[in-house]
Amino acid sequence: MLDRIVEFSALLRRHGLRVSLPENMDAAAALELLGVGDKATFKSALRAALVKRAGDTQTFDELFDLYFLGLGTESRRMDEELMRQLGMSPAEFQAMLEEIEKFLENLDGQISALAKALLTGDMGEVERLLREAAGAERSENPGLRVLMFAQGIGDRIGVEGVRIEIENLKALLGRGGAAPEMIEKMAQYAEERLRNLLKLVRELARREADTKDPTRPERERHDYLSQKSFVYYTEDDIRKMNEVVVRLARRFKNRLSLRRKRARRGRLDVSATFRKNLQYGGVPFRIKLEKRRKEKPDVVVLCDISDSVLNASRFMLQFVYSVQDLYSKVRSFVFVSDLDEVTRLFEENEIHQAVEMALRGDVIDVYSHSNFGRAFEIFYREHWTAITPKTTVLVIGDGRNNYNRANDWVLQEIRRKAKQLVWLNPESRMTWGYGDSEMPRYAPHCHVVEECRNIHQLYQLIDRIAA
Amino acid sequence: MFKSVDEVVSRLAEERYIASREVATVVYLAAAMRKPILVEGPAGVGKTELGKVLAGTLKLDLIRLQCYEGLDEAKALYEWEYAKQLLYTQVLKDKIGEVLEGAKGLRQAVERIAQEEDVFFSDRFLLPRPLLSALLAPKPIVLLIDEIDKSDTEFEAFLLEVLSDFQVSVPELGTLKAKHIPLVVLTSNNSREMSDALKRRCLHLYLDFPDAEREMEIIRLKVPGADKKLAAEVVELLHRLRKLDLKKRPSISETLDWVKALTLLNVKSLDDALVTETLSTVMKYEADIRKAQQELKEYLAVRKAKVAQPAATSDKDFLN
Repeated sequence: MLDRIVEFSALLRRHGLRVSLPENMDAAAALELLGVGDKATFKSALRAALVKRAGDTQTFDELFDLYFLGLGTESRRMDEELMRQLGMSPAEFQAMLEEIEKFLENLDGQISALAKALLTGDMGEVERLLREAAGAERSENPGLRVLMFAQGIGDRIGVEGVRIEIENLKALLGRGGAAPEMIEKMAQYAEERLRNLLKLVRELARREADTKDPTRPERERHDYLSQKSFVYYTEDDIRKMNEVVVRLARRFKNRLSLRRKRARRGRLDVSATFRKNLQYGGVPFRIKLEKRRKEKPDVVVLCDISDSVLNASRFMLQFVYSVQDLYSKVRSFVFVSDLDEVTRLFEENEIHQAVEMALRGDVIDVYSHSNFGRAFEIFYREHWTAITPKTTVLVIGDGRNNYNRANDWVLQEIRRKAKQLVWLNPESRMTWGYGDSEMPRYAPHCHVVEECRNIHQLYQLIDRIAA
Repeated sequence: MFKSVDEVVSRLAEERYIASREVATVVYLAAAMRKPILVEGPAGVGKTELGKVLAGTLKLDLIRLQCYEGLDEAKALYEWEYAKQLLYTQVLKDKIGEVLEGAKGLRQAVERIAQEEDVFFSDRFLLPRPLLSALLAPKPIVLLIDEIDKSDTEFEAFLLEVLSDFQVSVPELGTLKAKHIPLVVLTSNNSREMSDALKRRCLHLYLDFPDAEREMEIIRLKVPGADKKLAAEVVELLHRLRKLDLKKRPSISETLDWVKALTLLNVKSLDDALVTETLSTVMKYEADIRKAQQELKEYLAVRKAKVAQPAATSDKDFLN
């Protein structure tokens, strides 16, 4: 059993779970205590010892079934299917199986083990034979693809032979003296069983390939999203993103509060300590520490929602929404050519709805051409009070201004007044400054200018901005 | 402590805690292997309760450490009673004078004081906090470390020594080793990911909202007077509500509150007008309540359609 566990852990690891040696030992110890008799208990024990993240549970469940349950579920399903096709109740089905068994006993020695197991419904034995063949095939011809592998197993186990045997049997059935409809059913049954056998061979080959092929997990890595550029996001990706966004925002918050906490713990304030302890005759009874002022993050977000950056801004708005959810002092603005505040909209609506409303043009006209200059000017004229010396201003946009006036003096003003000015650009850095991109004029005014094309980059950014 | 998994289930049930087999398996393993359990899951599924009930079942004392941001060793492990030490030195001034009498020069005085030093750093002035009291307890106990995800990473790292070796080092006293290995239950709401090092030392248990059948069982146990049909309806509706995108998903305790409220108001079925008014016991945000009302309407419509079909409408259907 131990080597099975070790092999299973290796399989888990290949699928991105982190399983360490002590955890393997735990699993082994747990099984020693519980035994392997009960399937559910066995599974719970393994999960408790090996899987430590809730998100990995599903992967574990799938792999567990694949690895430990074998073809049992599959063949049970086939039995049910057969009963349905033949229109038989489980009892009738069982009776027929017994009939067949008796019949086969008379032919003793003339029939192969596989055909016998198959026809009497002994699927455990069938699976054993199949696995034997698969093992032999694997060791002789490693590296076969699924189809070739299935072919190899089939040849080895003698599927062709079984086919002939079943044909012969059907001819023999008539001589047994059973009722004609029974004979017909048996013939039909035998044919279906042959088909089942082929199916099982293929299934086994597929599973073997799944569990043994080391390249598979790479192709199915869950976090492929994080490396994918926003531009190529599909509808499906966007839906999946919600969870990622919430995690991101939380990380942002954790980062900031960690910094705040470090700052809060002041050093010993000598003079205050003395003053406080005069009442004890100068003996330092009560210690006084320096107190630092708490800094509440104060964020203003300006988000471009024009067509050119639609997918990115959808993501960014979700992010902004989540950030706003976590902090009290966040003000969010969206712009294309006009600019308006969406703070209230975000407060009052649920995330998807709010984002859709913002993008649909409930607040501003989204069908105009981007005009950063004009939007900045409006911000300066109407919302300038949003900015205080403690504000971090976050601009999200590609800086494509349609050759309008850049008005970069607004950024200059913001920089002068705010604590920090950050620009995130969902375009590749290579393209900045080409065409109508005004990035070279905007960039010098910002403390941080970063390309932010996928979640991975955003992660790194958050660590840098907030740390 | 426990002889088998089944015994865990039945003994927890005696303490009025309905545990699935999976929960029982993990508890059994933890007790037998002397490993801490890390319980994760959404708020209100009975994580903390599990720790408390375990103590009750095993007739052991419970020591609870509530974690929060900024919790440090001094508050979790031990503190020197600084004020008491000072008070003693003040009171014993004369005595100290006696000790120092006849000392030639500072060096000798310091020498003499140093000889008495351990008086002031002894158990007498040590103020044990939950973790240390758990380790020093004269008999086995259950240690519940609640909401570990709220603590800082530094504290989590510090916990590692405690959880793997069940010992702590106090510089002035040396290493203190646990007399009995406590049964440790850590709970986490997953507001941040715990470090792999900590997870490696624990058995992991993910508690999710219970399935309908188990939730019914819980209601039967905790609100004995509840109408069976009503309870079934409530459970079915809540299961639907939990699938919605809510700010706060209704937990088991909220289910119980609601059933209690409805039972008190003598409501027999969910299409009662009072139901909408009591939704606030389940939902804690205005936006959520609005969504819940919508869902309730849909649910009632679906149910009406079901009732219209004569066949197969019994309590069983609601359970499934």
